[in-house]
Amino acid sequence: MTHLAIEDVSVDFGGIHALRGVGFGLEAGSIVGLIGPNGAGKSTLLNCISGITRPTAGRVWLGDAVLSTMSSAAVARCGIGRVFQHPELVAELSVHDNLLVACHCSLHYGLFSELLRLPDVRRQERAAAKRVSTVLSRLGIADSAGARVGSLPYGHRKLVDLGRALLMNIRFLLLDEPIAGLNDAEISRLREILLALRREFGLGILVVEHNMPFVSGLCDRLVVLDLGQLIANGPPAEVLGDARVMSSYLGEALDA
Amino acid sequence: MSAAADIVRASLPRASWSWGAALVGICFVLACGAPLGVNGYGLYLLTLTGIFALVALGLNFLTGYAGQISLCHASFFGVGAYATAILTQKAGVPYLLALLSGALFTTAIGAIVAVPALRLRNIYLAIATLGFGVVLQKIIFEWRSLTGGGGGLALAAPSIAGHEVGATGLYYLTLAVMSAGLFGAWNVSRGRTGRALLVIKDSEIAAGSLGIHAARYKVTAFAISAFYAAIAGGLFAYLVRYINPESFGVGLSISFLSMVVIGGLGTIGGSIVGAAFYVIVPELLRGIKDAPGLVFGLLLVVVMVFMPQGLWGMMRRLGRGSVG
Repeated sequence: MTHLAIEDVSVDFGGIHALRGVGFGLEAGSIVGLIGPNGAGKSTLLNCISGITRPTAGRVWLGDAVLSTMSSAAVARCGIGRVFQHPELVAELSVHDNLLVACHCSLHYGLFSELLRLPDVRRQERAAAKRVSTVLSRLGIADSAGARVGSLPYGHRKLVDLGRALLMNIRFLLLDEPIAGLNDAEISRLREILLALRREFGLGILVVEHNMPFVSGLCDRLVVLDLGQLIANGPPAEVLGDARVMSSYLGEALDA
Repeated sequence: MSAAADIVRASLPRASWSWGAALVGICFVLACGAPLGVNGYGLYLLTLTGIFALVALGLNFLTGYAGQISLCHASFFGVGAYATAILTQKAGVPYLLALLSGALFTTAIGAIVAVPALRLRNIYLAIATLGFGVVLQKIIFEWRSLTGGGGGLALAAPSIAGHEVGATGLYYLTLAVMSAGLFGAWNVSRGRTGRALLVIKDSEIAAGSLGIHAARYKVTAFAISAFYAAIAGGLFAYLVRYINPESFGVGLSISFLSMVVIGGLGTIGGSIVGAAFYVIVPELLRGIKDAPGLVFGLLLVVVMVFMPQGLWGMMRRLGRGSVG
């Protein structure tokens, strides 16, 4: 079974230690919550895994492959999907076309065939469009297929962004604050979708989220970062009872 | 521009879809019949429109889709013109073959220019490409033995398969090449390259997370747009029959960029409308005593202020309104 391993990862930005020797693993089919106060290094860690930020020290492994020396595009092609905190969609394109962009890696035709739109191109494009429609229905937003993304409510846009990750034949999914800005109905739908993805495809999911009830209800395990260091890693009940976690993070959350 | 035909039909009213097809058909028939209805100068202007439209179609990939500004396209246009002229005139290569070879040569230059440009964006990229343009223009100027230097090159009428190509022939050749360029541009716009370029313009981080190598596609966009510009240059050389380095300065690069913006960034129809606007409107203004340049400049301002999506964007909105 594939294993995503973060091994002693450190990141320095100038003199600031954003991450210091962080290490933990993520099995296929497991859902891990990455929590910690603002500035703990959660997004930096996601950026390290997805190849956007290069670790100053340490490595990220996917099975036997080292991800941390690859470009972000190469990491994505290895099967690591990323959903950003704020959906990075092309506002001028329709929902359908935004999802079609995510089929990029499964379309195998050259520029010359594309210029002439040879029959093979048309066949591949039709197949991609079909996959897009399937994902749209799965996410329950098939009705918005033709709508411009810029005109959609925020919650819908987040689902479209998730849909893009799903079209990429991923094995692991990194989610950065997926429920921020969603209403209760959308949150429970997202939860069901994530659980179904784990059940059906054995997808491993790493989720950064501040909402404790959501995280503790969804995740098998929680990893807690504080000031760039890993301070706890275990089942939610155990981690949330940890005194260090309480003082560094949950205390703050309760105060707020 | 949508990729799947059914989605296009779902998002656009069926009537406007067939309107679009009818419009393209009417334009093509008019363009084919045009030499019957215009004088020599009119034909020259129409050919020039086609040539500039070809440049704009190519530049639209780079600027409209990938969001990269180039101020060296006049030089690609010039290199294409010189390469075609030199191959035809000095090496005796048949015109069409010279046109294609010159364009492939310029495509390689376009790809080379793109490599350092990958590190730059916005105004910095504009200045860097301005530099490239000056260098290319200077090389053409200094390489006197090959290019004739500042004296320029005078060209005889080209011939295809033993037949001399006159003004009408060149017009039809331009129309055919432009139609092919239009077809290619339309296909790319609804294929994986067009979509990848749009994502890159929006966010290179998002592009990476979708497995799209931004650098590779930016080089591709530079190369395709250099190819279009060079083919246009090879046609232009034989439209004017005299080329010198002065013709391919930064002023022309800015004009190319304006055509794309005035027509409508990221729209294929806009590239053609923008080129037509740039060629035809100054001619219509000639009647205004002493001030055609002034009025044209003001018109550019008016278009940009009131139609930020360009002429094509406005035409589309009007079209949608009238169709319902």
